[in-house]
Amino acid sequence: MTTRRRFLELSGAAAVASPAVAAPAVARAQGTGKVVVVGGGFGGATAARTLAQLQPGLAVTLVEPDPVFTACPFSNLVLAELRDMDQQRFGYDGVRRAGVTVAPTAATAVDPAARAVSLADGSRLAYDRLILSPGIDIGWGRLPGYDEAAAEKMPHAWKAGPQTLLLRRQLQAMEDGGLVVMSSPANPFRCPPGPYERASLIAWWLKAHKPRSKLLILDSKDVFSKQRLFQSAWAKLYPGLVEWVPLSQGGKVTSVDPATLTLVTDFGRHKAAVANVIPPQTAAAIARQAGVADRTGWCPVEPVAFESKLQPGIHVLGDSAIMGGMPKSAFAANAQAKVCAAAVVDLLAGRQPVDPVLINTCYSLVAPDYGISIAGVYRPDKGVLADIPGAGGVSPLEAAGDLRGQEALYASSWFRIVTTETFG
Amino acid sequence: MRLLLSALASILLLAGAAGAADAPAGASSCTGCHAVQAVPDSAIPRIAGRPAAELVRFLHDYRSGAAPSSVMGRIAKGFDDAQIDAIAAWFAAQPP
Repeated sequence: MTTRRRFLELSGAAAVASPAVAAPAVARAQGTGKVVVVGGGFGGATAARTLAQLQPGLAVTLVEPDPVFTACPFSNLVLAELRDMDQQRFGYDGVRRAGVTVAPTAATAVDPAARAVSLADGSRLAYDRLILSPGIDIGWGRLPGYDEAAAEKMPHAWKAGPQTLLLRRQLQAMEDGGLVVMSSPANPFRCPPGPYERASLIAWWLKAHKPRSKLLILDSKDVFSKQRLFQSAWAKLYPGLVEWVPLSQGGKVTSVDPATLTLVTDFGRHKAAVANVIPPQTAAAIARQAGVADRTGWCPVEPVAFESKLQPGIHVLGDSAIMGGMPKSAFAANAQAKVCAAAVVDLLAGRQPVDPVLINTCYSLVAPDYGISIAGVYRPDKGVLADIPGAGGVSPLEAAGDLRGQEALYASSWFRIVTTETFG
Repeated sequence: MRLLLSALASILLLAGAAGAADAPAGASSCTGCHAVQAVPDSAIPRIAGRPAAELVRFLHDYRSGAAPSSVMGRIAKGFDDAQIDAIAAWFAAQPP
Protein backbone atom coordinates (compact mmCIF):
# COMPACT_ATOMS: atom_id res chain seq x y z
CA MET A 1 0.00 0.00 0.00
CA THR A 2 2.96 2.27 0.56
CA THR A 3 3.70 1.84 -3.10
CA ARG A 4 0.20 2.77 -4.08
CA ARG A 5 0.34 5.94 -2.03
CA ARG A 6 3.67 6.83 -3.51
CA PHE A 7 2.24 6.18 -6.93
CA LEU A 8 -0.70 8.43 -6.38
CA GLU A 9 1.74 11.13 -5.44
CA LEU A 10 3.98 10.48 -8.42
CA SER A 11 1.24 10.01 -10.98
CA GLY A 12 -0.23 13.41 -10.42
CA ALA A 13 -3.59 12.14 -9.23
CA ALA A 14 -3.06 14.26 -6.13
CA ALA A 15 -2.20 17.25 -8.32
CA VAL A 16 0.67 18.19 -6.05
CA ALA A 17 3.16 20.51 -7.68
CA SER A 18 6.41 18.56 -7.89
CA PRO A 19 8.90 17.87 -10.66
CA ALA A 20 7.64 14.29 -10.82
CA VAL A 21 4.15 15.35 -11.87
CA ALA A 22 4.96 18.37 -14.00
CA ALA A 23 6.07 16.46 -17.07
CA PRO A 24 3.13 14.04 -17.18
CA ALA A 25 0.77 16.99 -16.78
CA VAL A 26 2.26 18.62 -19.87
CA ALA A 27 2.19 15.33 -21.74
CA ARG A 28 -1.45 14.83 -20.89
CA ALA A 29 -2.33 18.27 -22.15
CA GLN A 30 -0.71 17.53 -25.50
CA GLY A 31 -1.88 13.91 -25.70
CA THR A 32 1.70 12.89 -26.29
CA GLY A 33 5.01 12.61 -24.50
CA LYS A 34 8.67 11.76 -24.86
CA VAL A 35 9.99 8.42 -23.69
CA VAL A 36 13.64 7.46 -24.01
CA VAL A 37 14.62 3.81 -23.68
CA VAL A 38 18.28 2.96 -23.08
CA GLY A 39 19.42 -0.53 -24.07
CA GLY A 40 18.22 -2.61 -27.02
CA GLY A 41 18.00 -6.08 -25.48
CA PHE A 42 14.98 -8.15 -24.51
CA GLY A 43 13.85 -5.48 -22.03
CA GLY A 44 14.58 -2.27 -23.92
CA ALA A 45 13.56 -3.32 -27.43
CA THR A 46 10.33 -4.82 -26.09
CA ALA A 47 9.57 -1.69 -24.06
CA ALA A 48 10.19 0.60 -27.04
CA ARG A 49 8.09 -1.46 -29.46
CA THR A 50 5.27 -1.89 -26.95
CA LEU A 51 5.16 1.83 -26.17
CA ALA A 52 4.96 2.72 -29.86
CA GLN A 53 2.21 0.17 -30.41
CA LEU A 54 0.18 1.21 -27.37
CA GLN A 55 0.37 4.94 -27.97
CA PRO A 56 1.27 5.94 -31.53
CA GLY A 57 1.40 9.63 -30.48
CA LEU A 58 4.31 9.02 -28.14
CA ALA A 59 7.83 10.00 -29.24
CA VAL A 60 9.80 6.87 -28.39
CA THR A 61 13.57 6.78 -28.86
CA LEU A 62 15.63 3.64 -28.33
CA VAL A 63 19.28 4.40 -27.56
CA GLU A 64 21.47 1.45 -28.59
CA PRO A 65 24.98 1.75 -30.07
CA ASP A 66 25.16 -1.78 -31.48
CA PRO A 67 23.40 -2.17 -34.84
CA VAL A 68 22.85 -5.87 -34.08
CA PHE A 69 21.80 -7.50 -30.82
CA THR A 70 23.41 -10.83 -29.95
CA ALA A 71 21.14 -12.93 -27.76
CA CYS A 72 22.49 -14.77 -24.73
CA PRO A 73 19.69 -17.36 -24.49
CA PHE A 74 20.63 -20.32 -26.69
CA SER A 75 24.24 -19.10 -26.99
CA ASN A 76 25.29 -22.17 -25.00
CA LEU A 77 24.18 -24.17 -28.04
CA VAL A 78 26.64 -22.15 -30.12
CA LEU A 79 29.41 -23.33 -27.80
CA ALA A 80 28.38 -26.93 -28.40
CA GLU A 81 28.34 -26.45 -32.22
CA LEU A 82 24.58 -27.05 -32.20
CA ARG A 83 23.76 -23.61 -33.47
CA ASP A 84 25.26 -20.91 -35.63
CA MET A 85 26.04 -17.50 -34.17
CA ASP A 86 24.02 -15.85 -36.97
CA GLN A 87 20.89 -17.38 -35.41
CA GLN A 88 21.60 -15.34 -32.27
CA ARG A 89 21.69 -11.99 -34.06
CA PHE A 90 18.80 -9.55 -34.37
CA GLY A 91 18.71 -6.09 -35.95
CA TYR A 92 16.46 -3.15 -35.15
CA ASP A 93 14.50 -2.77 -38.41
CA GLY A 94 11.44 -4.28 -36.76
CA VAL A 95 11.77 -1.83 -33.88
CA ARG A 96 11.91 1.07 -36.37
CA ARG A 97 8.91 -0.31 -38.26
CA ALA A 98 6.93 -0.15 -35.01
CA GLY A 99 7.44 3.61 -35.03
CA VAL A 100 10.42 3.84 -32.70
CA THR A 101 13.32 6.21 -33.43
CA VAL A 102 16.57 4.33 -32.96
CA ALA A 103 19.53 6.45 -31.84
CA PRO A 104 22.54 4.33 -32.88
CA THR A 105 24.87 5.67 -30.22
CA ALA A 106 25.63 5.13 -26.55
CA ALA A 107 24.01 6.90 -23.62
CA THR A 108 26.87 8.47 -21.67
CA ALA A 109 25.06 10.28 -18.86
CA VAL A 110 21.62 10.84 -17.39
CA ASP A 111 20.63 14.12 -15.76
CA PRO A 112 17.59 13.16 -13.66
CA ALA A 113 16.92 16.75 -12.55
CA ALA A 114 16.88 18.10 -16.12
CA ARG A 115 15.22 14.91 -17.43
CA ALA A 116 17.74 14.52 -20.23
CA VAL A 117 20.10 11.83 -21.52
CA SER A 118 23.48 12.75 -23.02
CA LEU A 119 24.60 10.66 -25.97
CA ALA A 120 28.06 9.74 -27.22
CA ASP A 121 27.41 11.61 -30.47
CA GLY A 122 27.19 14.85 -28.47
CA SER A 123 23.43 15.29 -28.60
CA ARG A 124 20.96 15.35 -25.72
CA LEU A 125 17.55 13.73 -25.51
CA ALA A 126 14.90 15.20 -23.22
CA TYR A 127 12.39 12.80 -21.71
CA ASP A 128 9.18 12.79 -19.75
CA ARG A 129 9.91 9.23 -18.70
CA LEU A 130 13.18 7.31 -19.06
CA ILE A 131 13.37 3.52 -19.21
CA LEU A 132 16.77 2.01 -18.49
CA SER A 133 17.28 -1.58 -19.56
CA PRO A 134 21.05 -1.60 -20.01
CA GLY A 135 21.80 -5.12 -18.79
CA ILE A 136 24.93 -6.06 -16.90
CA ASP A 137 28.53 -5.05 -16.74
CA ILE A 138 31.20 -7.54 -15.78
CA GLY A 139 32.47 -6.60 -12.32
CA TRP A 140 36.07 -6.16 -13.40
CA GLY A 141 38.39 -6.25 -10.42
CA ARG A 142 35.90 -7.97 -8.10
CA LEU A 143 37.61 -11.33 -8.71
CA PRO A 144 41.35 -10.73 -8.23
CA GLY A 145 43.26 -11.36 -11.45
CA TYR A 146 40.19 -11.13 -13.67
CA ASP A 147 40.28 -8.05 -15.92
CA GLU A 148 39.60 -7.35 -19.61
CA ALA A 149 42.95 -8.86 -20.62
CA ALA A 150 42.30 -11.98 -18.53
CA ALA A 151 38.95 -12.43 -20.30
CA GLU A 152 40.86 -12.92 -23.56
CA LYS A 153 42.57 -15.95 -21.97
CA MET A 154 39.77 -17.14 -19.71
CA PRO A 155 36.57 -16.01 -21.46
CA HIS A 156 33.45 -15.25 -19.46
CA ALA A 157 31.17 -15.59 -22.52
CA TRP A 158 28.47 -14.07 -20.30
CA LYS A 159 27.70 -11.46 -22.94
CA ALA A 160 27.09 -13.34 -26.16
CA GLY A 161 29.30 -12.44 -29.12
CA PRO A 162 33.08 -12.60 -29.59
CA GLN A 163 33.50 -14.07 -26.10
CA THR A 164 31.20 -16.98 -27.02
CA LEU A 165 33.19 -17.68 -30.17
CA LEU A 166 36.49 -17.42 -28.29
CA LEU A 167 35.38 -20.03 -25.76
CA ARG A 168 34.18 -22.29 -28.57
CA ARG A 169 37.53 -22.00 -30.38
CA GLN A 170 39.37 -22.86 -27.17
CA LEU A 171 37.21 -25.95 -26.67
CA GLN A 172 37.75 -27.00 -30.28
CA ALA A 173 41.53 -26.57 -29.93
CA MET A 174 41.77 -28.48 -26.65
CA GLU A 175 43.44 -31.91 -26.60
CA ASP A 176 41.15 -34.84 -25.79
CA GLY A 177 41.63 -35.54 -22.09
CA GLY A 178 41.85 -31.86 -21.16
CA LEU A 179 40.29 -30.36 -18.06
CA VAL A 180 37.65 -27.68 -18.63
CA VAL A 181 37.10 -25.55 -15.53
CA MET A 182 34.09 -23.26 -15.10
CA SER A 183 33.52 -20.88 -12.23
CA SER A 184 30.03 -19.77 -11.21
CA PRO A 185 29.47 -16.61 -9.14
CA ALA A 186 27.47 -15.91 -6.00
CA ASN A 187 23.93 -14.56 -6.42
CA PRO A 188 22.67 -12.37 -7.96
CA PHE A 189 23.83 -12.71 -11.54
CA ARG A 190 22.42 -12.88 -15.07
CA CYS A 191 20.61 -16.15 -15.91
CA PRO A 192 20.76 -18.26 -12.72
CA PRO A 193 20.52 -21.66 -14.51
CA GLY A 194 22.86 -20.52 -17.30
CA PRO A 195 26.17 -21.82 -15.93
CA TYR A 196 24.67 -25.28 -15.44
CA GLU A 197 23.05 -25.40 -18.88
CA ARG A 198 26.44 -24.40 -20.25
CA ALA A 199 28.19 -27.13 -18.25
CA SER A 200 25.64 -29.63 -19.58
CA LEU A 201 26.06 -28.69 -23.22
CA ILE A 202 29.85 -28.52 -23.00
CA ALA A 203 29.69 -32.00 -21.42
CA TRP A 204 27.47 -33.18 -24.27
CA TRP A 205 30.00 -31.85 -26.78
CA LEU A 206 33.00 -33.29 -24.92
CA LYS A 207 31.31 -36.70 -24.73
CA ALA A 208 30.85 -36.63 -28.51
CA HIS A 209 34.21 -35.15 -29.52
CA LYS A 210 36.74 -35.39 -26.66
CA PRO A 211 35.41 -38.19 -24.45
CA ARG A 212 38.48 -38.50 -22.22
CA SER A 213 38.04 -34.88 -21.06
CA LYS A 214 36.53 -33.70 -17.78
CA LEU A 215 34.51 -30.67 -16.72
CA LEU A 216 34.90 -29.15 -13.27
CA ILE A 217 32.45 -26.50 -11.98
CA LEU A 218 33.76 -24.39 -9.11
CA ASP A 219 30.79 -22.71 -7.47
CA SER A 220 30.49 -19.82 -5.04
CA LYS A 221 27.09 -21.22 -4.00
CA ASP A 222 25.81 -24.34 -2.28
CA VAL A 223 22.50 -24.33 -4.15
CA PHE A 224 21.58 -23.35 -7.70
CA SER A 225 18.58 -23.15 -10.01
CA LYS A 226 17.04 -26.49 -11.10
CA GLN A 227 19.84 -28.17 -9.14
CA ARG A 228 18.33 -31.63 -8.65
CA LEU A 229 17.24 -31.80 -12.28
CA PHE A 230 20.69 -30.86 -13.54
CA GLN A 231 22.51 -33.20 -11.16
CA SER A 232 20.22 -36.11 -11.94
CA ALA A 233 20.71 -35.52 -15.68
CA TRP A 234 24.50 -35.26 -15.31
CA ALA A 235 24.58 -38.59 -13.45
CA LYS A 236 22.51 -40.18 -16.19
CA LEU A 237 23.97 -38.57 -19.33
CA TYR A 238 27.53 -37.62 -18.39
CA PRO A 239 28.65 -39.98 -15.61
CA GLY A 240 32.19 -39.26 -14.47
CA LEU A 241 32.49 -36.31 -16.83
CA VAL A 242 30.98 -33.46 -14.79
CA GLU A 243 32.09 -32.62 -11.27
CA TRP A 244 30.43 -29.81 -9.28
CA VAL A 245 32.23 -28.35 -6.25
CA PRO A 246 29.95 -26.27 -4.00
CA LEU A 247 30.96 -23.36 -1.81
CA SER A 248 31.02 -25.50 1.33
CA GLN A 249 33.52 -27.87 -0.27
CA GLY A 250 35.91 -25.17 -1.43
CA GLY A 251 34.19 -24.20 -4.68
CA LYS A 252 34.53 -20.44 -4.32
CA VAL A 253 37.14 -19.08 -6.72
CA THR A 254 39.11 -16.39 -4.89
CA SER A 255 41.51 -15.38 -7.67
CA VAL A 256 42.60 -16.39 -11.15
CA ASP A 257 45.95 -16.44 -12.94
CA PRO A 258 45.38 -15.96 -16.65
CA ALA A 259 49.04 -16.65 -17.50
CA THR A 260 48.73 -20.27 -16.34
CA LEU A 261 44.92 -20.65 -16.73
CA THR A 262 44.71 -21.35 -13.01
CA LEU A 263 41.65 -20.85 -10.80
CA VAL A 264 42.49 -20.52 -7.12
CA THR A 265 40.21 -21.51 -4.23
CA ASP A 266 40.87 -21.67 -0.49
CA PHE A 267 41.28 -25.42 -0.93
CA GLY A 268 43.62 -25.57 -3.91
CA ARG A 269 44.68 -24.50 -7.36
CA HIS A 270 43.00 -25.81 -10.50
CA LYS A 271 44.98 -25.57 -13.70
CA ALA A 272 42.67 -25.69 -16.69
CA ALA A 273 43.14 -26.59 -20.34
CA VAL A 274 40.15 -24.32 -20.99
CA ALA A 275 38.83 -21.92 -18.34
CA ASN A 276 35.40 -20.28 -18.43
CA VAL A 277 35.21 -17.70 -15.66
CA ILE A 278 31.69 -16.42 -15.03
CA PRO A 279 32.58 -13.44 -12.86
CA PRO A 280 30.60 -11.23 -10.47
CA GLN A 281 28.39 -8.69 -12.26
CA THR A 282 26.72 -5.33 -11.67
CA ALA A 283 24.09 -3.18 -13.31
CA ALA A 284 25.57 -1.56 -16.43
CA ALA A 285 27.53 1.67 -16.02
CA ILE A 286 24.80 4.01 -17.26
CA ALA A 287 22.48 2.84 -14.47
CA ARG A 288 25.14 3.49 -11.87
CA GLN A 289 25.91 6.90 -13.43
CA ALA A 290 22.22 7.81 -13.43
CA GLY A 291 22.09 7.23 -9.69
CA VAL A 292 19.54 4.42 -9.86
CA ALA A 293 21.88 1.68 -8.55
CA ASP A 294 22.32 1.22 -4.81
CA ARG A 295 25.36 0.01 -2.91
CA THR A 296 24.76 -3.56 -4.10
CA GLY A 297 25.45 -2.40 -7.67
CA TRP A 298 21.86 -3.21 -8.73
CA CYS A 299 18.79 -0.99 -9.12
CA PRO A 300 15.92 -1.00 -6.63
CA VAL A 301 12.50 -0.33 -8.20
CA GLU A 302 8.89 -0.29 -7.04
CA PRO A 303 6.92 -3.32 -8.24
CA VAL A 304 4.10 -1.76 -10.30
CA ALA A 305 5.77 0.37 -13.00
CA PHE A 306 9.39 -0.45 -12.04
CA GLU A 307 10.12 3.18 -11.30
CA SER A 308 13.43 3.68 -9.53
CA LYS A 309 13.24 4.00 -5.76
CA LEU A 310 16.16 6.44 -6.04
CA GLN A 311 15.27 8.70 -9.00
CA PRO A 312 11.68 9.60 -9.93
CA GLY A 313 10.86 9.52 -13.64
CA ILE A 314 13.38 6.75 -14.36
CA HIS A 315 12.17 3.18 -14.77
CA VAL A 316 14.62 0.28 -14.65
CA LEU A 317 13.94 -3.23 -15.89
CA GLY A 318 15.69 -6.41 -16.92
CA ASP A 319 18.94 -7.77 -15.55
CA SER A 320 20.09 -4.47 -14.00
CA ALA A 321 17.04 -4.15 -11.74
CA ILE A 322 16.27 -5.74 -8.37
CA MET A 323 13.00 -7.47 -9.18
CA GLY A 324 12.24 -9.29 -5.94
CA GLY A 325 11.54 -12.92 -6.70
CA MET A 326 11.95 -12.60 -10.47
CA PRO A 327 15.27 -13.88 -11.82
CA LYS A 328 17.49 -12.06 -14.30
CA SER A 329 16.25 -13.74 -17.47
CA ALA A 330 15.30 -12.74 -21.01
CA PHE A 331 11.75 -13.96 -20.41
CA ALA A 332 11.52 -11.79 -17.29
CA ALA A 333 12.96 -8.71 -19.04
CA ASN A 334 10.47 -9.10 -21.91
CA ALA A 335 7.57 -9.51 -19.46
CA GLN A 336 8.68 -6.58 -17.30
CA ALA A 337 9.05 -4.40 -20.40
CA LYS A 338 5.44 -4.94 -21.46
CA VAL A 339 4.17 -4.15 -17.96
CA CYS A 340 6.43 -1.11 -17.74
CA ALA A 341 5.37 0.21 -21.16
CA ALA A 342 1.67 -0.01 -20.26
CA ALA A 343 2.35 1.66 -16.90
CA VAL A 344 4.33 4.48 -18.53
CA VAL A 345 1.46 5.10 -20.96
CA ASP A 346 -0.88 5.27 -17.96
CA LEU A 347 1.41 7.60 -16.01
CA LEU A 348 1.87 9.96 -18.96
CA ALA A 349 -1.91 10.15 -19.29
CA GLY A 350 -2.33 10.83 -15.58
CA ARG A 351 -3.79 7.39 -14.92
CA GLN A 352 -2.90 5.11 -12.05
CA PRO A 353 -1.21 1.90 -13.25
CA VAL A 354 -2.96 -1.18 -11.89
CA ASP A 355 -1.08 -3.88 -10.00
CA PRO A 356 0.47 -6.26 -12.54
CA VAL A 357 0.94 -10.00 -12.52
CA LEU A 358 4.11 -11.27 -14.19
CA ILE A 359 5.26 -14.70 -15.28
CA ASN A 360 8.74 -16.04 -15.74
CA THR A 361 9.52 -19.27 -17.58
CA CYS A 362 13.09 -20.42 -18.22
CA TYR A 363 14.02 -23.50 -20.16
CA SER A 364 17.46 -25.08 -19.96
CA LEU A 365 18.83 -27.73 -22.26
CA VAL A 366 20.80 -30.51 -20.62
CA ALA A 367 21.25 -32.15 -24.04
CA PRO A 368 19.85 -31.14 -27.45
CA ASP A 369 16.68 -33.19 -26.89
CA TYR A 370 16.52 -32.91 -23.10
CA GLY A 371 14.88 -29.78 -21.71
CA ILE A 372 13.97 -28.76 -18.17
CA SER A 373 12.15 -25.67 -16.96
CA ILE A 374 11.45 -23.39 -14.04
CA ALA A 375 8.48 -21.07 -13.83
CA GLY A 376 7.17 -18.47 -11.40
CA VAL A 377 4.23 -16.09 -11.11
CA TYR A 378 4.75 -12.76 -9.36
CA ARG A 379 2.74 -9.83 -8.01
CA PRO A 380 3.51 -6.71 -5.99
CA ASP A 381 3.49 -7.47 -2.29
CA LYS A 382 4.89 -5.24 0.47
CA GLY A 383 6.80 -3.12 -2.01
CA VAL A 384 8.47 -5.90 -3.99
CA LEU A 385 7.59 -8.37 -6.73
CA ALA A 386 6.89 -11.53 -4.76
CA ASP A 387 6.28 -15.13 -5.80
CA ILE A 388 2.61 -16.06 -5.66
CA PRO A 389 2.55 -18.94 -3.18
CA GLY A 390 1.58 -22.31 -4.63
CA ALA A 391 2.45 -21.33 -8.19
CA GLY A 392 5.63 -21.94 -10.14
CA GLY A 393 8.36 -24.51 -9.62
CA VAL A 394 10.53 -26.79 -11.69
CA SER A 395 9.93 -29.74 -14.00
CA PRO A 396 9.27 -33.02 -12.19
CA LEU A 397 12.35 -35.04 -11.27
CA GLU A 398 10.73 -38.18 -12.67
CA ALA A 399 9.56 -37.30 -16.17
CA ALA A 400 6.58 -39.10 -17.65
CA GLY A 401 6.66 -39.96 -21.34
CA ASP A 402 8.78 -37.68 -23.48
CA LEU A 403 8.48 -34.62 -21.24
CA ARG A 404 12.21 -33.79 -21.59
CA GLY A 405 11.97 -33.90 -25.38
CA GLN A 406 8.79 -31.82 -25.28
CA GLU A 407 10.43 -29.17 -23.08
CA ALA A 408 13.41 -29.03 -25.45
CA LEU A 409 10.97 -28.30 -28.29
CA TYR A 410 9.20 -25.67 -26.20
CA ALA A 411 12.56 -24.05 -25.48
CA SER A 412 13.36 -23.51 -29.14
CA SER A 413 9.82 -22.32 -29.88
CA TRP A 414 10.03 -19.87 -26.99
CA PHE A 415 13.27 -18.43 -28.39
CA ARG A 416 11.71 -17.85 -31.81
CA ILE A 417 8.57 -16.34 -30.32
CA VAL A 418 10.24 -14.04 -27.80
CA THR A 419 12.77 -12.75 -30.32
CA THR A 420 9.92 -12.10 -32.77
CA GLU A 421 7.97 -10.23 -30.12
CA THR A 422 11.05 -8.27 -29.06
CA PHE A 423 12.61 -7.37 -32.40
CA GLY A 424 9.67 -7.76 -34.80
CA MET B 1 -8.82 2.26 -1.76
CA ARG B 2 -8.43 -0.82 -3.92
CA LEU B 3 -12.12 -0.80 -4.88
CA LEU B 4 -12.05 2.87 -5.66
CA LEU B 5 -8.96 2.49 -7.82
CA SER B 6 -10.31 -0.44 -9.78
CA ALA B 7 -13.62 1.36 -10.26
CA LEU B 8 -11.66 4.35 -11.51
CA ALA B 9 -9.62 2.10 -13.80
CA SER B 10 -12.79 0.55 -15.24
CA ILE B 11 -14.26 3.95 -15.97
CA LEU B 12 -11.07 5.03 -17.69
CA LEU B 13 -11.02 1.83 -19.74
CA LEU B 14 -14.64 2.31 -20.77
CA ALA B 15 -13.74 5.84 -21.75
CA GLY B 16 -11.38 4.38 -24.32
CA ALA B 17 -8.04 4.38 -22.55
CA ALA B 18 -5.21 3.25 -24.75
CA GLY B 19 -4.21 -0.14 -26.07
CA ALA B 20 -2.72 -2.78 -23.83
CA ALA B 21 -3.79 -0.79 -20.83
CA ASP B 22 -6.82 -3.00 -21.51
CA ALA B 23 -4.73 -6.18 -21.30
CA PRO B 24 -5.66 -7.74 -17.97
CA ALA B 25 -3.03 -8.50 -15.33
CA GLY B 26 -0.81 -11.35 -16.47
CA ALA B 27 -1.82 -11.36 -20.15
CA SER B 28 1.24 -9.47 -21.34
CA SER B 29 3.49 -12.12 -19.80
CA CYS B 30 1.58 -14.91 -21.58
CA THR B 31 2.55 -13.48 -24.97
CA GLY B 32 6.23 -14.21 -24.26
CA CYS B 33 5.32 -17.78 -25.30
CA HIS B 34 1.82 -17.39 -26.78
CA ALA B 35 2.52 -14.53 -29.16
CA VAL B 36 -0.37 -12.51 -30.52
CA GLN B 37 1.33 -12.44 -33.90
CA ALA B 38 1.72 -15.74 -35.72
CA VAL B 39 5.18 -17.33 -35.48
CA PRO B 40 5.67 -20.27 -37.83
CA ASP B 41 6.70 -23.80 -36.77
CA SER B 42 6.01 -23.31 -33.10
CA ALA B 43 5.52 -26.27 -30.78
CA ILE B 44 3.79 -23.86 -28.38
CA PRO B 45 0.08 -23.55 -29.25
CA ARG B 46 -1.13 -20.18 -30.48
CA ILE B 47 -4.12 -19.06 -28.41
CA ALA B 48 -4.94 -15.67 -29.94
CA GLY B 49 -8.50 -15.72 -31.28
CA ARG B 50 -9.44 -19.02 -29.59
CA PRO B 51 -12.84 -19.12 -27.89
CA ALA B 52 -12.68 -17.78 -24.35
CA ALA B 53 -14.61 -20.74 -22.92
CA GLU B 54 -12.07 -23.16 -24.37
CA LEU B 55 -9.14 -21.22 -22.87
CA VAL B 56 -10.88 -21.01 -19.49
CA ARG B 57 -11.47 -24.78 -19.52
CA PHE B 58 -7.82 -25.49 -20.38
CA LEU B 59 -6.52 -23.19 -17.67
CA HIS B 60 -8.83 -24.67 -15.03
CA ASP B 61 -7.80 -28.20 -16.02
CA TYR B 62 -4.10 -27.30 -15.97
CA ARG B 63 -4.51 -25.61 -12.60
CA SER B 64 -6.31 -28.60 -11.06
CA GLY B 65 -4.02 -31.13 -12.70
CA ALA B 66 -6.97 -32.71 -14.56
CA ALA B 67 -5.08 -32.04 -17.80
CA PRO B 68 -1.40 -32.99 -17.98
CA SER B 69 1.02 -30.20 -18.83
CA SER B 70 4.69 -29.33 -18.64
CA VAL B 71 4.75 -25.74 -17.44
CA MET B 72 1.13 -24.59 -17.66
CA GLY B 73 -0.02 -26.28 -14.45
CA ARG B 74 2.69 -24.43 -12.52
CA ILE B 75 1.72 -21.12 -14.12
CA ALA B 76 -2.09 -21.50 -13.91
CA LYS B 77 -1.83 -21.99 -10.14
CA GLY B 78 -0.85 -18.31 -9.90
CA PHE B 79 -4.23 -17.08 -11.22
CA ASP B 80 -7.72 -17.03 -9.72
CA ASP B 81 -10.96 -17.61 -11.63
CA ALA B 82 -11.59 -13.93 -12.33
CA GLN B 83 -8.05 -13.43 -13.65
CA ILE B 84 -8.36 -16.50 -15.86
CA ASP B 85 -11.69 -15.25 -17.24
CA ALA B 86 -10.17 -11.87 -18.05
CA ILE B 87 -7.07 -13.31 -19.72
CA ALA B 88 -9.13 -15.77 -21.75
CA ALA B 89 -11.48 -13.01 -22.91
CA TRP B 90 -8.52 -10.84 -23.92
CA PHE B 91 -6.86 -13.60 -25.98
CA ALA B 92 -10.21 -14.51 -27.53
CA ALA B 93 -10.58 -10.90 -28.69
CA GLN B 94 -7.18 -10.89 -30.47
CA PRO B 95 -7.11 -11.53 -34.23
CA PRO B 96 -6.69 -15.28 -34.89
